[in-house]
Amino acid sequence: MSAQARPVARPPAEEPRERRPRERMPLRERLAAWRDQHFYGLFSSLGRMALRPWSSLLTVCVLGFALALPLLFWLSYDNARALTTGMREAREVTVFLQPALDEAAAAALAAELRQRADVAAVTIRTPAQGLAEFRALSGFEDALAALGENPLPSVLVVMPASTTRPDAAGLLQALEADARVDLVQYDAVWRRKLSGILRLGARLVAVVSALLALATLLVIGNTVRMDIQARSAEISVMQTIGASNGFIRRPFLYAGFWYGVLGGLAALLLVAAVELALAGPIRALADSYAQPLRLRGIDLRVAAVLLGASSLLGGLGAWLVTTRHLLAGRPQ
Amino acid sequence: MIHFDNVTKRYQTGLDALSELSFEVAPGEVVFVTGHSGAGKSTLLKLVSLAERPTRGRITINQRDLGRVRRGGIPQHRRGIGMVFQDHRLLVDRSVFDNVALPLLIAGTARAEIGKRVRAALDKVGLLAREKASPVALSTGEQQRVGIARALVAKPPLILADEPTGNLDPQLSLEIMNLFVEFGAVGTTVLIATHDLLLLKHMRKRVLVLDHGRLVDDYRPEAVA
Repeated sequence: MSAQARPVARPPAEEPRERRPRERMPLRERLAAWRDQHFYGLFSSLGRMALRPWSSLLTVCVLGFALALPLLFWLSYDNARALTTGMREAREVTVFLQPALDEAAAAALAAELRQRADVAAVTIRTPAQGLAEFRALSGFEDALAALGENPLPSVLVVMPASTTRPDAAGLLQALEADARVDLVQYDAVWRRKLSGILRLGARLVAVVSALLALATLLVIGNTVRMDIQARSAEISVMQTIGASNGFIRRPFLYAGFWYGVLGGLAALLLVAAVELALAGPIRALADSYAQPLRLRGIDLRVAAVLLGASSLLGGLGAWLVTTRHLLAGRPQ
Repeated sequence: MIHFDNVTKRYQTGLDALSELSFEVAPGEVVFVTGHSGAGKSTLLKLVSLAERPTRGRITINQRDLGRVRRGGIPQHRRGIGMVFQDHRLLVDRSVFDNVALPLLIAGTARAEIGKRVRAALDKVGLLAREKASPVALSTGEQQRVGIARALVAKPPLILADEPTGNLDPQLSLEIMNLFVEFGAVGTTVLIATHDLLLLKHMRKRVLVLDHGRLVDDYRPEAVA
């Protein structure tokens, strides 16, 4: 034995990485082995979840609620948007005349307005027509009958001429200045408010979705983290017998993926149940408005996007925690 | 096969686990490492499997300088080594077959090939009939033999065993040691850390004796006989 202390320095970092001739298998065999490993990971992780059915079910339910919430928000927004499409396209100006004005005076004003270049059409709604309409829609028939005389004014519905840009400022000014006019209601103002509300709704959906996506990531990450802790002895055995980080990470990634997929499916079920519960009342409401109001549900595209997003979130959550574990708990 | 050149390992506590250790092991040789507890047996094995890095000196395994193996290359390096532990470290939630198959799964061996090689390895340790059993259903000696089957299934050129008979009675210990000697006969290099002196005497193999991290004896029975 040599008594000489001859320190041998470790090779400097810039020395090229030594390549070890790997056992070279034919490509087809390597592909088959790769496929086998992935199939194994895919199904063994599912089997592992089935070993603890209650805790897995609980996690999937939590994920289902977290994912269903933004989906429900989105559906409400989507329906509101579809419902208001017709309203947002309305361009008419509604002109309420002074109640004292009789039908002849209303007709005269209508004729006057039709002469203007910026007016395309004018429709007169007499107090009698208004009353009939009100009666049919509101169901206050008895109360109206008790009223004796008709309290409604004549109404002119004016369609501005410009179709490209509903800039009817001049027309509006003229109408408001007219002494015969009681009130001018231009839908564009209301329309802008509606658009503003819808934009707020879209932003709300985006923010809620982002927050709950983060929650999904955390729930899956935490579940996988507990799984890793329960299997840390197994991981260390695998590391000592030469498993790469990728090999160790794989079953956990698949577990995260499965949590994401199952959580997504749970969310779709929940939303479908909500739709079913609301369908009856909504139909009744639509009937009362004599409007072809139909609930827009989730279609295949939305379902696919949700499942894709949730499985991606699951994989990402699992990747984050396994990477952290592998960095923190390197083999001694 | 294994070449230690002036290897010193100092732990962060300031303890010198190994001091200026130099020795060589030829391919197919079965070598025992012995010494009191704390003499450096485990550290020696850890340096070979790259669980630890030497403070000074150079270790070469199979003409490969371990100082040049980066962190990312460690798994690949370990796949060339079969490891046997005192507490066998089997995965209790898997069958005997799946435990033995693990190194092949890690190496990416084809499925058909895995079945063949796992059964061959189990046959070699005499446990072919127990492939579907859970490791917890086996006796300690059987568990250790499963551990050995797992170590040899990928046909590594080198097997490291850390106190493989520490929990076994003398009769079982002898059986296990004979298994290791058989591997040496087919060209596998085997390095076994043990403090069972009686067994060593019986085996009549080369013995490296460590004392406080220094090599105090390199006993070769053939040379004496």
